[in-house]
Amino acid sequence: MYKEYSIIICSGTSCQKGVPGELTEIARQVLLKHGLDQKTKISLSGCLGMCSKGPVMIINPGYTIYGKVDAGNIGKIIENHIVHKKEVTEHVIHEDHLFNRFYSIFGDMDFFGKQMRIALRNCGIIDPDDIDDYLSVRGYEALARVLTDYTPAQVIEQVKLSGLRGRGGAGFPTGIKWELTAREKEPVKYVICNADEGDPGAFMDRSAVEGDPHTIIEGMIIGGYAVGAKNGIVYIRAEYPLAIKRLERAIASARKEGLLGDNILDTQFCFDIEIRLGAGAFVCGEETALIQSIEGFRGMPRPRPPYPSVKGLFGKPTLINNVETWANIPVIILDGAEWFSSIGTEKSKGTKVFALAGSIKNTGLIEVPMGTTLREIIFDVGGGIPEGRKFKAVQTGGPSGGCLVESDLDTRIDYESLAAAGSMMGSGGMIVLDEGACMVNIARYFLEFAQNESCGKCTPCREGTKRMLEILTRITEGNGMDGDIEKLERLGRMIQKASLCGLGQSAPNPVLSTIAKFRSEYEEHVIDRKCRAAVCTRMLTYEINGKCVGCTACVKVCPTRAVSGVKMNVHVIDQSKCIKCGACYEVCKFKAISKQ
Amino acid sequence: MTAMQLLMKKRNEAINRILGKGYLATKRVYVGNATCEIAAGSDEVMEVFRNAIQRGLTNVYLSSKGCAGRCNLEPTIEVIEEGKIPVKYGRITKEMAHEIVERHLKKGEVIEEWVIEG
Ligand SMILES: Cc1cc2nc3c(=O)[nH]c(=O)nc-3n(C[C@H](O)[C@H](O)[C@H](O)COP(=O)(O)O)c2cc1C
Ligand code: SF4
Repeated sequence: MYKEYSIIICSGTSCQKGVPGELTEIARQVLLKHGLDQKTKISLSGCLGMCSKGPVMIINPGYTIYGKVDAGNIGKIIENHIVHKKEVTEHVIHEDHLFNRFYSIFGDMDFFGKQMRIALRNCGIIDPDDIDDYLSVRGYEALARVLTDYTPAQVIEQVKLSGLRGRGGAGFPTGIKWELTAREKEPVKYVICNADEGDPGAFMDRSAVEGDPHTIIEGMIIGGYAVGAKNGIVYIRAEYPLAIKRLERAIASARKEGLLGDNILDTQFCFDIEIRLGAGAFVCGEETALIQSIEGFRGMPRPRPPYPSVKGLFGKPTLINNVETWANIPVIILDGAEWFSSIGTEKSKGTKVFALAGSIKNTGLIEVPMGTTLREIIFDVGGGIPEGRKFKAVQTGGPSGGCLVESDLDTRIDYESLAAAGSMMGSGGMIVLDEGACMVNIARYFLEFAQNESCGKCTPCREGTKRMLEILTRITEGNGMDGDIEKLERLGRMIQKASLCGLGQSAPNPVLSTIAKFRSEYEEHVIDRKCRAAVCTRMLTYEINGKCVGCTACVKVCPTRAVSGVKMNVHVIDQSKCIKCGACYEVCKFKAISKQ
Repeated sequence: MTAMQLLMKKRNEAINRILGKGYLATKRVYVGNATCEIAAGSDEVMEVFRNAIQRGLTNVYLSSKGCAGRCNLEPTIEVIEEGKIPVKYGRITKEMAHEIVERHLKKGEVIEEWVIEG
């Protein structure tokens, strides 16, 4: 229902000083007293990055941010603001962070309440095709500030201070990468934006480029200034035609405004960006393979060192960052490195974008502060598992990651704690699984992806994943053999150790992590030839039960004539002919076919 | 002129151009326009609003927008009015868009059933 007023109370750890839920309760009472309870939505936010002034409360309309709210004054503030339409000035926080524009429109929704949009701050609120829209929301101001007030070394200092780490998966400190590239003495250097995004089901980067292309461009120009590069390249997969079109248009209009090209904003600094299209191989997202691909060779990783920061594109020092990493840069300059580093956990600062999918009520693209728990993401942002089904696991990190279970749900999202729990941050895939999911099958799915995408350069990755896939396939088909699980573990560990690039090094993760957390399910498959989720169809037995009325529908539909019987008589399935296709199960209107 | 002063000048020009397009209209309508939104049919929805304006609907500023991340509710649109909480609609078809024009944009009625819950 549409509500006329919205009260958002911060539930971040440092704002929760008093009794949990106390402020919400008082707010409810006050609204009730004035008969406004039906017209007002009270919701909770995650950390809003104003901890020193907390507890924080936001009231809409007006989008007034109140600080130092406590049990003693919250009632008065609400009465004054909503009933008397007067702001309580002594409690108003005058801090304008870039995420506010998005939050002021969407913050009252449960889905967005605990989100904080920094990288995606403009996605969904401005016209991405119009540079005027971007300029009007402080676009290119970070660039202008840098060109006016900062030396390149000072820019790098800010990025280091912010604590930003690479969002492409590995989490390498961005400021240090910039410093390493900047200290090379070569006159020609390159800046690359990695928009290859090959993880199955991931669409964070596509959405960011489509929704706010200028942010990426601005980030890259600042990066070029900081490391001393004049050439920028966006490597983006050809499967993203709209993103490419938007980016091309954005580059053209930035050039026209003198924000890209020679003498940017009438300074001595020159920088331009071109687009290179990738053909859609997962391995081409790996930085050295990406560089090979731009150079016109087959995209295959090469050993590091030398790192791209020393010898990258065409042998020149090259700074490669992910789309989301770039999108954070203007915010670090405008809102300040110190503010940025106040958000998140000790070692992971800022926010992270995730593509939330699977068995969850609200699927979608989310951006939450580091330190948000998996439980908050799945149950508050995602709205929980639909139709009363039970949570089983959450897969993070895509083909490089692993599965986490119920007991891991209070893990706070950051690079280290996800790794400690047995998965990884990765680039941001997050798939929620309910009890209807078969863990062996999930593992097989991700391994098959990695196996297909292996470039074939090293034997452990090329052959090892193939053998693992064969074993997994036979397990899911009911032909698992004694010792298969141990073989998977041994192969997996060997491939992790002996592969050249991240693809091979992480390909066994989905398998090893599901064995670690769901070993009994693997054993059931191998020993009992049973898939408890009834997903591995080859292991199922289809049988006709007492509900059969003898309609012959299944007799007609069975492709191998395994079902026999005449009208009005109970039918039977000849198990030796059954190929477990499930056609009879689908067609039966009387639930007379059981599968086990 | 410093880079910052030059940028401020550009920003002011940009803002003026946006105002010139009628940004200060009573209602601003944002229609999703990313790959996902378009796949869900947002093009047709946009067309409805565009046509309504061409046929004389006034005091409405129409803009496209990127994806806000509500995959399961697309196409999404927002109707934003100063001093009011923005109205967020989800799963809008072109027929529904027609009704939003008639009831919400012309008469100011929020169509409760289509407002996104949660
Ligand atoms: C197999 C493989 C695929 C990768 N795919 C991507 C990708 O699609 N996008 C990306 O930004 N980084 C990807 N990476 C990570 C890059 O090698 C590199 O670390 C990253 O682009 C650096 O940027 P960051 O520091 O901003 O994260 C991939 C790595 C591997 C091993
Ligand atoms: S680990 Fe796999 S993908 Fe990486 S270089 Fe070796 S064969 Fe290629």
